[in-house]
Amino acid sequence: MRLLGFLFLIVSALLIPGFILRIKSIAAGRKGPGIWQPYRDIAILFAKGQVFSNTSGLIFQIAPAINLSCIIAAAMLLPFGRYGSLISFDGDFVYFLYILALGRFFSIISALDTGSSFEGMGASREALFSMLAEPAFFILFAALAIVTGHTSFSGIFSEYTISGDHNILIMTLIGVFVLFQSSLVETCRVPVDDPKTHLELTMIHEVMILDNSGFDKALIHISTYLKQAIYGLLIYNLITPFKLNLVFQIIIFVLVQALYAITAGLIESFRARNKMNRNPKFILTISAVAWIAFVIILILKK
Amino acid sequence: MVNYLIVLFAVTNIFFASAERISIYIRLIAMQGLLLCGIALAGLSEVNLGNLIFIAAETIVFKTVIMPYLLFRIVKTSGVTKVHRLSMPAFYNLLFSIFALLISAMIAKSMLTGFVSSVFMTVALYTLFVGLLLIVTHRLIVSHIIGFMITENAVFLFSVAVGNEMPMLINIGILLDIFAGVLILGFFGLRIRSNTNEITKLKD
Repeated sequence: MRLLGFLFLIVSALLIPGFILRIKSIAAGRKGPGIWQPYRDIAILFAKGQVFSNTSGLIFQIAPAINLSCIIAAAMLLPFGRYGSLISFDGDFVYFLYILALGRFFSIISALDTGSSFEGMGASREALFSMLAEPAFFILFAALAIVTGHTSFSGIFSEYTISGDHNILIMTLIGVFVLFQSSLVETCRVPVDDPKTHLELTMIHEVMILDNSGFDKALIHISTYLKQAIYGLLIYNLITPFKLNLVFQIIIFVLVQALYAITAGLIESFRARNKMNRNPKFILTISAVAWIAFVIILILKK
Repeated sequence: MVNYLIVLFAVTNIFFASAERISIYIRLIAMQGLLLCGIALAGLSEVNLGNLIFIAAETIVFKTVIMPYLLFRIVKTSGVTKVHRLSMPAFYNLLFSIFALLISAMIAKSMLTGFVSSVFMTVALYTLFVGLLLIVTHRLIVSHIIGFMITENAVFLFSVAVGNEMPMLINIGILLDIFAGVLILGFFGLRIRSNTNEITKLKD
């Protein structure tokens, strides 16, 4: 049963990007591509060969695979409702963040490895924004750990909805807000970054992968899709009552992931991307909201 | 219930530090008025009914409707829509705001008595700091008015915290609200005409 959650995560990762594309085309009044378009693109990329620039070295070649494996390792830590995760130990949310950070570190140094000034600029932005986004996640899960008395994802989510604590509604509201906004930062979506931008000067994530081609580029796209599904699963775990049976859990999971994709698609359709110098403020606001939840829980729990 | 409203109130304070448009400030002020009404209704269980209705009506009418309306009128007549003259970038403002919450929690803990809930104390102190921070870091007089109104909201929150023991304090807080609000808004509402742009030049 533990494998079930992981499989659901993979399936939702396959569907979310196409769903977001569909929402965007409906909102814009276009016919647009179908739900399976991202996978047609990936299939084409898998069939293509790779081209490596003369200036890049080994790091550039191995980074996409390391990034994807780090994200898969992080995904294994997440439980699916009352069915625990594949791997679980005390303090695994710290491991989760650092394994994601390791993947990001490799994508940053692979961008630097190409020797392109544009990619260096993108790498610097990615490093800054993820540095600012990380505290939000840490603070939120520290607050959840205080509420539940556990420090692993499985422990936190198993105790969370049945803890009987009066403050879990506050935590859920703030948690969903923080996780959703963090996911927009981590998966490089509007308003922080625009995956469809065509100017290198305004890119963040896309500018780092300009030199990647073929198989490597497919791996990078899959990593981003998995990250979206991971955040969707975290939000699902936060709002789902623990003792529900499997059918209801699956229904709620599908609804949460669909709602996540619809919201992200609508935000992308109706909201402009932030100016680059406003992004740090936007990301710090997420941490500040998480910080409020942490301080209030700390006071109430005394 | 009170705790939920207080946390939402604290969250609006965060957005004061990061917003860049006057209209967002005004909406946040209106939202704080609404939340204060809810906090007063939920928190003041021992105050008599007449007084409670008066307090709720005052916060709704004065803080949520009249003040935001007058502020919107000032914005419309003066044409000042953006907080384009910050003394420091909003990023640092936000950092100061985060530290302010930490400091308020520490002060509230050191001042803790049996009469006042520490959550009330923390958020009221935090709101006070946010109001002062807004006044110190902004150059335009419109932002100063908003900073003053946030400080007033903090005073109101303090008075609600001790309202069950000292109901007179709330009425004094409301009097301060009405006096200062009408004085300041009346003054600016009457003085500034649509064909002058003096509000964009006014500093202190």
